[in-house]
Amino acid sequence: MLAKSKILIIDDEEVVLDSCTQVLAGADCVVATAGNGVQGLKLMEETTPDLVFLDLKMPGLSGFEVLGEIRGRHPDMVVIVITGYATVSSAVEAMKKGAFDFLPKPFTPEELRLIFRRGLEHHSLVQQTVALRREKEMLRENFAAIVSHELKAPLGAIQQNLYALTEDLADKLSDSQRDLFGRLKIRLDDLLKLIHSWLRIISVDVNQLKGTFSPLSVADVLSKAIETTQPHATRKAIEIQAIVGEPLPRVNGDEGSLTEVLVNIIGNAVKYSFPHSKIRVRVEAQGAQVLLSVADTGVGIAKDDLPFLFQDFVRGQAQPGGATGCGLGLAISRRIVEVHDGSITVESEPGKGSTFVICLPAVPPATESNPIPERKA
Amino acid sequence: MSQPKRLLIIDDDPDFVAGIKSILVKAKYEVDVAYNPKDGFQALKDKAYDLLLLDVMMGRGAEGIMVARKLGKDPNLRNMPVLIITGIREQMAFLFPGQAVHPHFVSVDELVEKPVEPKLLLDRVQALLIKSAEARKTNSK
Repeated sequence: MLAKSKILIIDDEEVVLDSCTQVLAGADCVVATAGNGVQGLKLMEETTPDLVFLDLKMPGLSGFEVLGEIRGRHPDMVVIVITGYATVSSAVEAMKKGAFDFLPKPFTPEELRLIFRRGLEHHSLVQQTVALRREKEMLRENFAAIVSHELKAPLGAIQQNLYALTEDLADKLSDSQRDLFGRLKIRLDDLLKLIHSWLRIISVDVNQLKGTFSPLSVADVLSKAIETTQPHATRKAIEIQAIVGEPLPRVNGDEGSLTEVLVNIIGNAVKYSFPHSKIRVRVEAQGAQVLLSVADTGVGIAKDDLPFLFQDFVRGQAQPGGATGCGLGLAISRRIVEVHDGSITVESEPGKGSTFVICLPAVPPATESNPIPERKA
Repeated sequence: MSQPKRLLIIDDDPDFVAGIKSILVKAKYEVDVAYNPKDGFQALKDKAYDLLLLDVMMGRGAEGIMVARKLGKDPNLRNMPVLIITGIREQMAFLFPGQAVHPHFVSVDELVEKPVEPKLLLDRVQALLIKSAEARKTNSK
């Protein structure tokens, strides 16, 4: 049997409470009533109703205050406001504040039943959405944790024993044997890294980054990223030339993940560039945006590959010097940039090189002077 | 020569344990192993150890965390240094939302990821031993 729906009616007019109870109470519905806002809020905590009818005009705590209180405590609660005929504007105001619908007084039993049914339908949809969202979140997190352990544990054990063997045999191994151990180690490392990146793709909800956004300088992020990629560039005798346009407005973002994006892009440029070439990195303001471009003169990207470049697990074909990777860097980068309300694009010509351009919205100077940066909820 | 330091490993993966034990034994440590938290606590009761190497994911879940919490509450064991060895550093934050799992399970601890390179493992073990010896000296003053 289905559980009975629980309805709470908050109204200072006893006649409204009585008539509504009479219309709604029955085999599939329990009605609780409250004569004022304070009592209504108390009853709501005790009964956790599926649906609340709320009179907007009450002495004491007003309907609007009660509505605000309910939405604050239970954002998913379905509230229908009851209003006098002449106060349609306040009904609209209430809907803006999160009420599901409104019922103008006086109303017929049929009108009440109709809005009641619709309210309940909406309530069950809201409940389903909440449950699904929670389930999805749990699945993703558990999956990541389980897969992580089940895949990484055996590889970890293999690698650990390999380390132990290499140590033990250090003075007995011939050069070619040591080379073989080295190869084993590198392939295992790559496999572990692949699992790691793959887990990041499925388990990290980049939207959570928004919670830690703060105004930051793209120039700082850039210099950090160059610092990280410089050793690889030096090894190939590649010069990274950075040009920072002044003045440079700040952008709102997460420093760690934006650095990751730039390390990915510049790292790719190094990976796919020929030795003794140059990579040009330029950051400048353009209108209300900060534009960041990374141009290399490397192998370029085939036209056929371009549309799939920012998707998961895609890697271009031409790889000089045995460049390796799992094709996740750009996919992660795209997600991170999009969470920052920005965009990432690429232009490329095979044999000539590629240019990646990242656009991020600049923080307007007015909010910049505000000591406490306003954060989007 | 001074007395070799005694280490205890609590980890449920015998293959992984074989890998780190061999490295530690080669470095002249005395190493005991427990393959589950229960045996681990028994070993800690029976013998005094200078350092514990602790795995996080054991048995049905993160039993290593429970071990660390229990250690933190034990006045005799609270000051024993713990080297946490885990394959799930990335996942720890959301396995235990809102809880500080690291740093500082106990007064002296450190975390490394599986697999761990021999040099890093030995460095961390030694650093922790020195740190805990210093902490002991300060406490006794």
